[in-house]
Amino acid sequence: MLGEALADTVLSARARSRPARVALIGNPNTGKTTTFNRLCGSRAKTSNFPGTTTSTRLGRAELTSSRAVEVLDLPGVYELHIEAPESLIARAVLEGDGAFRRPDAAIVVVDACNLTRNLVLVGELLHYDVPLVVGLNMVDLAQRRGLTVDVNVLSRRLGVPVVPMIARRAEGVDALRMALLRALDFPRAKRPADLPAGTSSPEALTAWADELLTEAAGASAPNGSGPDSFTEGLDRAFTNPILGLVTFFAVMGGLFWALFTLATLPMDLIEATFAYFGQLAVTYLPAGPLRDLLTDGIISGIAGTIVFLPQICLLFFFISLLEDTGYLARAAFVMDRVLHRFGLPGQAFVPLLTSHACALPGIMSARLIPNRRDRLATIMVAPFMSCSARLPVYVLLTSLLFAGQPGWAGLAFACCYLLGGAAALLSALLFGRTVLKGGARPMVLELPTYKMPSFTNALVTARDQGIAFLRTAGTVIMAICIVMWWLSAYPRVDTPESVRTLRAEADQPELSVGRVAELRARADTLEARAVQAGSFAGRIGRTIQPAFEPLGYDWQLTVGVLTSFLAREVFVSTMSVFVGGAADAEVNVGVIDRIRTMRRDDGRLVFTPATAASTLVFFVLAMQCLPTLAVTHKETGALKYPILQLLYMSGLAYVSALIVYQSLRAMGWS
Amino acid sequence: MASTPKTPICLCDLAVGATARFHAADLDPEFSRFLRSVGLTQTSELRLCRNGDPCIVQVRATRIGMSKAVAGQVYVVPTSGT
Repeated sequence: MLGEALADTVLSARARSRPARVALIGNPNTGKTTTFNRLCGSRAKTSNFPGTTTSTRLGRAELTSSRAVEVLDLPGVYELHIEAPESLIARAVLEGDGAFRRPDAAIVVVDACNLTRNLVLVGELLHYDVPLVVGLNMVDLAQRRGLTVDVNVLSRRLGVPVVPMIARRAEGVDALRMALLRALDFPRAKRPADLPAGTSSPEALTAWADELLTEAAGASAPNGSGPDSFTEGLDRAFTNPILGLVTFFAVMGGLFWALFTLATLPMDLIEATFAYFGQLAVTYLPAGPLRDLLTDGIISGIAGTIVFLPQICLLFFFISLLEDTGYLARAAFVMDRVLHRFGLPGQAFVPLLTSHACALPGIMSARLIPNRRDRLATIMVAPFMSCSARLPVYVLLTSLLFAGQPGWAGLAFACCYLLGGAAALLSALLFGRTVLKGGARPMVLELPTYKMPSFTNALVTARDQGIAFLRTAGTVIMAICIVMWWLSAYPRVDTPESVRTLRAEADQPELSVGRVAELRARADTLEARAVQAGSFAGRIGRTIQPAFEPLGYDWQLTVGVLTSFLAREVFVSTMSVFVGGAADAEVNVGVIDRIRTMRRDDGRLVFTPATAASTLVFFVLAMQCLPTLAVTHKETGALKYPILQLLYMSGLAYVSALIVYQSLRAMGWS
Repeated sequence: MASTPKTPICLCDLAVGATARFHAADLDPEFSRFLRSVGLTQTSELRLCRNGDPCIVQVRATRIGMSKAVAGQVYVVPTSGT
């Protein structure tokens, strides 16, 4: 007794000095993430496994008031001894290889409704000699199906504690904590005598698991694979070629409607908050480079990116809910029939649809795609989809192209979306025949049981993805914003004589308040135009303009294209500055009319039908979004993919715009 | 008299609702490994739930969806209902 108490004290003291590490493992769709959230609450850090793009979460679970452990959530695995990336990571963690610290214990979450397959993984884990606790999850569902498992028999046969749980309702989680505490303090290392050897085939392990189940579940053990009319009925509907498509478009339509509707208010709030910060900086900081950097570089640049945060969080919230219900796996098969022809997997529909809002969440949601080749193909073509940042540019250019013909302008607008979608599909086909060898993998997926989704899991997923996005926005994207601002604001040019004259006129005491405001506004915009023209971006625009000459662009249009690499919508404000409008101009009739009358240095119009069409095609196809390239780099884990994306998309845009301009010019529309 | 073992047939040729034992798969090793890891082994009985694209089979409590291209390369030995 005394010895045991002493051992307990020593072990507890050791545990206090360094928290024990516990690996959380299990088959996919067993409620592992729910169990993690129940154990650790919302205090978890998400990061990638070293050297991989597979993400993991590390949390802290309180076992008692004075004892906490680190819990490492491993990716879902079916088997340990296959060469799948998830299995390689799980093996490396269990063996304490390289960057990984060997866990002091492991919790394996098993699905009570699907015990044989789950026990195969338990059998493999028993060979690692890590103290093990089995969390027998979804016992309520199993009982509803007439399966009752005697946990004492199962525990005795496995030689490890087995805890019945309903993780969704937090039932059994306290018992799991206690079982883990005992497993850590009094580890047992005795394997079951009849456990097949570590090198055994899946067939031998399956036979062993079957025997265990028969013993633990007795007469209630499932015999064969009987039909479940509820699941079969839903599967028939959701995978039907017609009904499945109708359901898919209804679900996705609902999702995106909810996404855009619910995101509007927080997006407006973010914009208003950053505008307020900008105003504060203008009010309290003296005019100069620091104020300009803060307001025009950092605040406006970050605001332009962070404004998409609500869409990203909501998207992942809805995707997590859909994934939990089991529907997403069925939807993937419906879309696979269409997308597979172009070398994309069925799961690519989520990233491609999402990219219509913004390519950043679109590329991030490609994590749903398990195969790396298929994931890369999707990431590479997702930015072709027309994102919301292209909208103001489309409005401007289609209005210039079809002045006073709203019907034709609307048709051209729709054609931009079609052109982007067609470019994405055909490019995926091309990538499959060149850099990403082979077509999309034929689809094989486990179709998980239909169940009620977990709102807690969805909230945690949304929060984690939001934090991951903010990390990128706060580092790489902020650096890009500062560099682009600097290029378009420096070197400072002397105030033009015309601006000084206007300001002097505005200082005349006899003028009305309205006249003074008008003169000052004109002076400000003229000065902004001079700054733009004399900046590095302006000079680069003039220098590289000959390269854009075949597309019909003068130096002003070239600068507009260059500055829109910060964000596409910047094009409208750049053009507006050139015609003496405000830098924060929105697309309205006044701005469009002024831009329509823009002149080149030789007096000809900048926007003829040929140049407007050429610019429109360029904007549909070009990769003009540096934040997207940063996210592509992060998600692919290699620099070559964003470089290829930039060169390929911009090259395709250049060639297409060239063909359009030269064809229209040959037809006399220049 | 011992019964003659049935000849393996393509999974696509099995009737919906019929049961069979997995025999072999003429597939990329990655797919074969996945099928085995989700329980489609030679000792397991499967039931065809849906034929076509996708083809859905159930092995114990696991439902597996596979595109027609994969199902066409999976061979099974019928045990009932062909």
